[in-house]
Amino acid sequence: MNTKKWIELGLSKGLSDVEISVSESTSLKLVSYEGKIEQNTISDVSTVSIRGIYEGNIGKVKFEFISDDQVDKMLDKVIENAKVLTVKEPAIIYEGSPSYPEVKVNDFDFASVPMTKKVEDLITLEMRIRNNEKVSNVQTAVYQENTSGAILTNSKGLHLTRKNRFAYAYGVGVFKEGDDVTTAYEFDIFKTYDQFDPNKLADITIEKGLKSLGPVSLPTKFYPVVFSNETFSELLSVFSGLYSAESAYRHLTPFENKVGESIAQSNFNLIDDPLHEKAYFQIPFDDEGVACKKKYIIKDGVFQGFMNDLKMASIFNQDPTGNSFSGGIQTTNLYLEPGEKSFDALIEPIQDGVYITELVGLHAGVKAISGDFSLQASGFKIEQGKVVYPVNMIVVSGNFFEVMNAIEAFGNDLKFDVSGFGSPSVFVKSLSISGESK
Amino acid sequence: MLNKNVIQDLLNEALVTGADFAELFFEDTNQEAIRVTSKDVSNVSFNNVHGVGVRLIKNNDVVYGYSNDVSEEKVRALVMSLSASFSGDKKEATPLREALPFDNKVKRPMESVPASEKTEKLLALSDVILSHDPRIVQSITQLLSWKQSILVANSNGVYQNDERHYARVILMGVASENGQMQQVFEGPGRAMGFEIFDDVNPFELAKDVAERAIHMLSAQPIVAQEMPVVLANGWGGVIFHEACGHPLEATAVAKGLSPFTGKLGQAIGSSVVTAYDDGDVDGAWGRTSFDDEGMKTQKNLLIENGILKSYLVDYRNGLTMHHKPTGSGRRQNYKFPPTSRMNTTYIAPGKDKVEDIIKDTKYGLYAKQLGGGQVSPATGEFNFSVSEGYMIEDGKLTTPVKGAMLIGKGHEVLFKIDKVADNLDFGQGMCGSISGAIPTDVGQPTIRVSKMTVGGAGGQA
Repeated sequence: MNTKKWIELGLSKGLSDVEISVSESTSLKLVSYEGKIEQNTISDVSTVSIRGIYEGNIGKVKFEFISDDQVDKMLDKVIENAKVLTVKEPAIIYEGSPSYPEVKVNDFDFASVPMTKKVEDLITLEMRIRNNEKVSNVQTAVYQENTSGAILTNSKGLHLTRKNRFAYAYGVGVFKEGDDVTTAYEFDIFKTYDQFDPNKLADITIEKGLKSLGPVSLPTKFYPVVFSNETFSELLSVFSGLYSAESAYRHLTPFENKVGESIAQSNFNLIDDPLHEKAYFQIPFDDEGVACKKKYIIKDGVFQGFMNDLKMASIFNQDPTGNSFSGGIQTTNLYLEPGEKSFDALIEPIQDGVYITELVGLHAGVKAISGDFSLQASGFKIEQGKVVYPVNMIVVSGNFFEVMNAIEAFGNDLKFDVSGFGSPSVFVKSLSISGESK
Repeated sequence: MLNKNVIQDLLNEALVTGADFAELFFEDTNQEAIRVTSKDVSNVSFNNVHGVGVRLIKNNDVVYGYSNDVSEEKVRALVMSLSASFSGDKKEATPLREALPFDNKVKRPMESVPASEKTEKLLALSDVILSHDPRIVQSITQLLSWKQSILVANSNGVYQNDERHYARVILMGVASENGQMQQVFEGPGRAMGFEIFDDVNPFELAKDVAERAIHMLSAQPIVAQEMPVVLANGWGGVIFHEACGHPLEATAVAKGLSPFTGKLGQAIGSSVVTAYDDGDVDGAWGRTSFDDEGMKTQKNLLIENGILKSYLVDYRNGLTMHHKPTGSGRRQNYKFPPTSRMNTTYIAPGKDKVEDIIKDTKYGLYAKQLGGGQVSPATGEFNFSVSEGYMIEDGKLTTPVKGAMLIGKGHEVLFKIDKVADNLDFGQGMCGSISGAIPTDVGQPTIRVSKMTVGGAGGQA
């Protein structure tokens, strides 16, 4: 793909600046069922995105039908789209940051592993789960590998590249005891093939499933609640849009006038760190070519400021933070700073509480802007400081802004999820739990 | 696009190593999004999805490959690489038939409408929301539209093109008072062109969005408890979609994962429940003339007076289940192999009057607007959120409540529906599952569920 020629063509059409990004990705996905591969998917897709500035406005297009003729048409479309805008906001295409963080590129080639080995390992994963006597079925078992590369280049001379390779696997077991059915899975992501241990992954899945068999609902009332590191990461993720400068500019966040003010308790620290070594991905630059950097969002309970992109940085007269992703402002690796307590010590003081290990329906049960959440959950009962039996079909409800001020203790078990959100286990003083009376 | 002879050759080549079935799915989709924030057109974007998906099946095993490169050379390489997964005697593809005509009944295709006409509508709608009340601090209106052109050809002789036009008007209002913020959203969608603006009453809806946002400012958190729930018509149908629709998809049934497996002809719900999934409702968001496997869409009776009549079945699962496909093979785009999905799914109207249902309820929740929901087909456990609700006390609507989350098990809740009103209506959403996100309608008249677990943050901490 001759991006240089396309940029020149764009300039000749009257665009004052042009940016082109090209991403190429290939993938392999294997799905096993009842000890054989029932689905094998391969892919190879390239996508081109063009942004261009026309008379002070930015137009954008993204396309998969790629040819010189098509690029010509798409450049016209960029101009057409820019003309429709009436908003008077800065339109910037970036000359580049003074320097970029070093990120280790994963050069492991998953294609070098023989297909027979991958098939064998996936079937091992599935069958080891399936052969457990409490497992009635394995809903699906998946192995997937992805390789992607991207080029970001523009008329200001910027030329950046990034590459990414990873694979993941999981098997969803259906566990049954009497009339009671529950599903369990463990998602494992790896950067080299030798990190894939199908036996271990199956054993973790089985352990999870067996532990959650025979769940009961709970009487409706307020309980002390411990969120697992994974579930609290999910809560952090659904509220992460509130720290975006665009949300502030468009009056879509309650934190609009709260910079420098306390919005959480004094030991609450929320950090966006593109390079955190425990996160799955380290990110050197954002989609506009701005170098990514570590920053506190909340420090000692005080809101430090919004994440931005070039447009918002210019509007608020601030340095760009390197958080422009997928056409909006997003976090890189956002995590809650862990405390010192082991999990056992964290739950030790709880006499009658709930440990939540799964939240369902996050896209529906959260009102980010008001902080309200009400979510289907499952997990375990805590009694006399110990995890005692599984619970499900409960709803946990509260207000996240209040939770940020009602944390009794932070665990030391920081864990990142694959989308880059991290948290330790968190003990919240009291939340509404509703369940069934039996 | 490759010509028919080349496609026929490729299908034959796909079967040389013994595959029973081969399919090529070509797609070109052009999507446009125009957004107005407050008083300005703030964003315009264009997205093109273009490529081919190749599927081979042998003894129910599937190999699938996709690429954005649809040149003959690339597609042939993909076919070869996929067919290498099988070994066996060569089979012959059935000669491709003539494509059947399709009619999408679109009056004003979006691409023929000048941008200024679209932005004029969006700006006017935004103004309705923004000027409704000084407590409205933000309005966002958006027009999302796309045209998906597909051609599907398979070794059973199917050769079918289709052109789907989708339009969706997004209306959002944000109200703020004393540091409290509430956000309300509406997103009517149709398989239409610009005439969607004449069909969905957008100006009335915009006013309603603003009013509801203001209203929700004074809503109290609901107190968690079990109680009867009256679900309003339209979007309320998301309960049936989650609790019953997904578990009736062959994806869940073929592997025996669904609680409804093996229940054809048996009672799976209360006798007041009759339900359909219809792929061919004129102008409906979930409509296509042909499904993504080239089969004509149809109206499927799923449940009649509580008795299970049919599943939703695609070609491949149909082979396993010995069940005729129901025109339900769908996929987001060429990057997904198709599987059984819903189109326009609804509970048929009954005879009760809404007023009588509420009058008949001593204490409960009236769920006027619902947010989204989710279900696990294996366990039947579902949840969905109530975005606008009112308490019912002594047969009357009283306090507005917020934060209600309803949970239950699909196969249990169907038996607890004890009232069905006569006011069938629909709501539109994007339904996500293993073959991606697709437009679907949910629908129902107002119904009452005799008892549900309702979560909420109200009460004493």
